[in-house]
Amino acid sequence: MTAVRTEEAPGLRDLLADLARLGSAPASRASSVVSLTVPVGGLEQVVHRLIAEPGARLADMFASAEPQRSGWPERNSEPVRLRMVWALDAHRAYLITESLVDSASYPELSDIAPAAFIEECEIYEQFGIRPAGGKPLNRLVLPPHAGRDFPRLGRAPLEEPGEVHALHLVGGQAFEYPFGPVRQVGVESLYYGLVTSGEEVVDLYLFTWHKHRGVELRLQGCCLADALFYVERMEGLGAVANGWAFAAAAEAVLGIAPTEEALRARAVALELERLYNHAAATAALCQACGLSVGQAQAEIALERLHRVNAAAFGHRYLFGVIDIGGVRQAPDVAALRAALPAAYGELRRATDALLATNSLVDRLEATGILTAEAARRLGLVGPVARSTGLSLDARADHPVAPYDRHPPAVATGEAGDVLARFRVMLAEAGESVALIGDLLDAGTGTGTVRAAIPGSAGRPLPGRAAIGQPRPAGRGQGGEPGNLRHGLGWAESSRGETLAWLALDHDGLITRARLRPASARNWRGFDDAARSQNVFTDIPIIEASFWLTVAGIAR
Amino acid sequence: MTAAGFSPQAGEESAEELAAAQLRRQVARQFGRSLHIRTLDTGSCAACEQEIRLLAAPHYDLHRLGLFFTPAPRHADMLLVTGPMIRAFDVAVRKTYEAMPGPKLVVATGACALGGVYQPDAFTHGGAGEMLPVDVWIPGCPPSPLALLQGLLVAVGRLAEKSRTMTFVQNGNPR
Amino acid sequence: MPLWFARGLRRGVVTTRYPAQRDPSAADLPTPPAFCAEKLTREVADQLCQACPCGALSRAGDALTFDAGACTACGRCAQAVPGAVTRSGEFELAATRREHLIKQIPLVGESER
Repeated sequence: MTAVRTEEAPGLRDLLADLARLGSAPASRASSVVSLTVPVGGLEQVVHRLIAEPGARLADMFASAEPQRSGWPERNSEPVRLRMVWALDAHRAYLITESLVDSASYPELSDIAPAAFIEECEIYEQFGIRPAGGKPLNRLVLPPHAGRDFPRLGRAPLEEPGEVHALHLVGGQAFEYPFGPVRQVGVESLYYGLVTSGEEVVDLYLFTWHKHRGVELRLQGCCLADALFYVERMEGLGAVANGWAFAAAAEAVLGIAPTEEALRARAVALELERLYNHAAATAALCQACGLSVGQAQAEIALERLHRVNAAAFGHRYLFGVIDIGGVRQAPDVAALRAALPAAYGELRRATDALLATNSLVDRLEATGILTAEAARRLGLVGPVARSTGLSLDARADHPVAPYDRHPPAVATGEAGDVLARFRVMLAEAGESVALIGDLLDAGTGTGTVRAAIPGSAGRPLPGRAAIGQPRPAGRGQGGEPGNLRHGLGWAESSRGETLAWLALDHDGLITRARLRPASARNWRGFDDAARSQNVFTDIPIIEASFWLTVAGIAR
Repeated sequence: MTAAGFSPQAGEESAEELAAAQLRRQVARQFGRSLHIRTLDTGSCAACEQEIRLLAAPHYDLHRLGLFFTPAPRHADMLLVTGPMIRAFDVAVRKTYEAMPGPKLVVATGACALGGVYQPDAFTHGGAGEMLPVDVWIPGCPPSPLALLQGLLVAVGRLAEKSRTMTFVQNGNPR
Repeated sequence: MPLWFARGLRRGVVTTRYPAQRDPSAADLPTPPAFCAEKLTREVADQLCQACPCGALSRAGDALTFDAGACTACGRCAQAVPGAVTRSGEFELAATRREHLIKQIPLVGESER
């Protein structure tokens, strides 16, 4: 049956020994991450049960190569561990299932197929294992020229993935063409296939291999401090959120708890990041709609918010704030209190005027509609999901300090269109400013706990050491495979829940880092939102309302 | 052909070299009055792009300096490159660069494009210089709009380069 | 549209005068480090190189090589050896040749034991 190995309170163990009793809440706050090992033959049943659980969603799915006796994973070793991270929002817990896959395939998990398709493709390219049933998998992660020797996290697949997309029928006439990756000026490269009958968007599918930098591969063998540098620069517009999730995962493994002041400082930075992202989305929305004046007003507010970040934390994008065990610096409270209200006032005046501009509101209403059913089926997060009516917010559903004492009001919408997403973002921006005020009142500081963080002598730098080189012998003592320590961290970025999962060896070096920014989850909703009843000129508007990054999925 | 960074040997120029130098100066003057920029993201984290977008925002307003963005490489005079030059992107880079008519400039910006952050490996070239003839390098992570403005004006010869004489050494007690 | 027009007039001009005039916002920007010459022993140099996550600092013999182009101004070198590193305040870093950004900083001989 299902072997239960919990890492938290025993109350949860009883609950989960029989999945049918998942209606009750976890025993204590500490029991917010539960791990289960599930034999691969029983995986389909477990998934079936979990998907039926209200308030449960698949947050991530990934694999890792099983470490050998020496404690270090060899790339071509078998077998592979398949992990699923389930967010049990109603129970304020995360559930991680872990299954050993010793053949080339695992059960066809059709219950979660829409929410897991991208992950299935990624796992196939990186580890060579695939769901049974023979459905076609697309090339998503590695570029077309990647041969069998191309560096990957695991084994190369026996057959190269194809390029298969859903069949579509549009009165017999439709044409399909690739768009990008070099697109408008000043936006990230994005490569997608567009199927159209003329003006209407029939289908839209993304390619992400053009920006794949192999971040997870680079982090293997690194010490935590160096890895954090790369995690911040994986998705620059989410440096604080991704950094926090990563640091929290490391702290979970090492058993470190940052001080309350440091956590409040982190939250101030996270809310500042949310603010500037929402302001940037506002400017992008105005630009997409051709409202130059609105765009200029929003950009004035955006620039002021960046200057607030620089005054408070020394960096316009808040790089270098998060540290393992706390923060590297506390905010300049006086500067923040002096500058933030005026900057937010600019944004508020601009957005109030925008919402009073009928020509703009008409353009945003009923554009890019995403239904709550689609958001749930695809496992979307963030304002994109909230605007369809789903009340999902990691700060409220999986609260970690300081959000337990300072819970934010979760903004939701109903219509799931661009206007709803815009309104949700604006409500959140206001909430962020209020939160920052409360957090500053409660007091911020560094108080970084450095004691238990593994040292950094003689370690290879990610990216500095060539990928594909064999690791030095003697690294990582002891160890039964599976004795590796691992932990999960999360944060609510401006785009939604971002996750990080880490496995460390006994030297404190990373053996597997899984980074899942919100963009990696939400881009699959873009296809749905862009399809049907939308025309080409709607695509930039929908894209701005999602405000995702390509860097967050193509990592 | 580049419009910056040419220094002829005194007294040794042939007629052709003199003509080329004069042409470069004329091109630089032309670009200095009206320059159209095409941006190219070769794998950045998106922060550089945000700073570049802010160049057109009211606080910086690059238009007042005669600098403009253009989506069409055919209309572009300068290619502003960010990102560590991911190998999977090579075809797009080559096509974009070749679609630009000469004379043209290439400016690489951000620590990734300058060879920091990512080393050359199977995924990336590790910097813009590997694939393109870069005229001006603008450091930063991300480079602020002020730094970008300075770099763009250096590229068209309207501002003098300062980094050559910077030492990054503090003598005596820090202020 | 009159709404926006009036709003814009009321606010006035926010555009920077750069390059004609200095912009005060530059004071808050992260900038590459400046190294305190008299503190740069071999030991200190090695500590700095160890701290740098992107290879902007390396030591060859009796000189510290600092690549201002690779530098991200992350501040880890300053955190590692606070007395030896200060803020340069330089943000006008554009270079017409990549080599112009690579500086050789002489070290102050062996550290006394």
